Amino acid sequence: MAQDAPGVGARLSPKLDEANLIRAVQRGDQDAFEQLVRAYDQSVLRLAVNLLRSQEDARDVFQEAFLRVFRSIDSFRFDCSFHTWLYRIVTNICLDYLRKRKVRKEEPAVVDTPEGPLDRMNDFEEEAAHADPERNMWNRQLSQRIEGALGGLTPRERMVFELRHYQGLRLRNIGEILGTSEEAAKNCLFRATQKMRAMLGDFQ
Amino acid sequence: MNCESVTKLIPLYFYGELPPEEEDRLEQHLDTCAACARQAESQRALSAALDRREMQPSAALLGECRHGLMRAIYRHEAPLLRPVQPAPPWARLHNGFGAWLPSLGGWRMPLGASALLALGFVMARLTTPGAGGPFNLASLTPDVISSIRSVQPAHEGGQSGEVRIVLDETRQRVISGQLNDSNIQRLVLAAAHDENNPGVRWESVDLLQSQSDSSPVRELLLNRVAEDPNPGVRLKALDGLKTYTGDPEVRKVLAQVLMHDDNPGVRIAAVDALTAHADDNMVGFLQGVVQKEDNTYVRRRCVKALQDMNASVGTF
Repeated sequence: MAQDAPGVGARLSPKLDEANLIRAVQRGDQDAFEQLVRAYDQSVLRLAVNLLRSQEDARDVFQEAFLRVFRSIDSFRFDCSFHTWLYRIVTNICLDYLRKRKVRKEEPAVVDTPEGPLDRMNDFEEEAAHADPERNMWNRQLSQRIEGALGGLTPRERMVFELRHYQGLRLRNIGEILGTSEEAAKNCLFRATQKMRAMLGDFQ
Repeated sequence: MNCESVTKLIPLYFYGELPPEEEDRLEQHLDTCAACARQAESQRALSAALDRREMQPSAALLGECRHGLMRAIYRHEAPLLRPVQPAPPWARLHNGFGAWLPSLGGWRMPLGASALLALGFVMARLTTPGAGGPFNLASLTPDVISSIRSVQPAHEGGQSGEVRIVLDETRQRVISGQLNDSNIQRLVLAAAHDENNPGVRWESVDLLQSQSDSSPVRELLLNRVAEDPNPGVRLKALDGLKTYTGDPEVRKVLAQVLMHDDNPGVRIAAVDALTAHADDNMVGFLQGVVQKEDNTYVRRRCVKALQDMNASVGTF
């Protein structure tokens, strides 16, 4: 990562705590909005990339989510954390994408070709593969089966699993984000893991 | 605790979602039940396999997303922004064309192309049989572009057969003047934001270069370097800032361009502009760019600049 440009930040507001930052955004402070975006945008992008396995879709989700934040920040009333509010927006957009894919029965990220299974995200992962040689050893067949198993989950199960496994959120928080109870999130996680274990069988 | 309940709890146990007492009871069961212990192992293996498929978005993708978002906001959402003090240098320009117009008196800017109907369209409508009446076609001269605002019966009830058509007319006018005339300059500054026509923006920026000692012009050039969707316009604007590469505000924008612009040619021009002005504070920044830059030519330019400063290329 490049360092910050010299002098960048000099015009930004002094480091604000999040509530003040949000109030500044509500007053129309562009710099505060950028600071707020930067506090969360990496985890939002990571969620979208891992859920959708498509750079283009992840880019669209990123833009749509933060544009919605920008347009509706005035309606944020601090009755939940900003993180929860933002993730409600992001997960809603991602769920729409996943549901549309289910309806269109889109192909999964890993597809069969005459030359063997092809991961459509290979180009995207190239950088990571160089950084981590073990990645090159990644068994393509296993990868295909895992993608298939994830593809067999409902969008909601997929989302709960993603938020718990990859984003490390607590189930109570996940319930709050998805507008459901902690108990329902637990059941969703249980169903997701059972389905995947059943679909993957004794792969290990 | 029986095997059936343990099966349901294993995922929660694995993700640390069980209360401590329940966790203890489950662990005791796993110690004594081989079948459930195998299930727990299966859960662990599944998790390990899923960990390996996790992807971290690249810095380049994150940069693209951030850049795209800010562009979308500045292009389409600007009226929602209410700049606070001190405002960014181009904040006043974000409001686009309209912001300039009230001060232009009787001068009228052409309306957006989409809002216009060409004269020919209006003429065709008005020359259809029976469309005569008091309207004088001769009053529509070729320098007038009209659009129809409304069509309605001239009298309530519409029994008379007379209609009332309201036209919005934009008169084309040729205006000449010196670029240092404030009214002329405002028009050219506004034209540099015409989002429908990169050619007009390029010409405007090109003309304004000679006026870069004026503060509004410099702000415009900074705005175009950072925000114009057309790389040719961005390069032209950057060219106009070359005499101000010692200015901290200009340097800040150029540094952002070097980090985030998607066009390597623009990034090379930004390196050249930044390094034209001796500044030891640039060393760390350029070293960072060398690390992340994926274009060979841009990277080489940064390396050369570091070597010219007798600085090492890498960071330690």
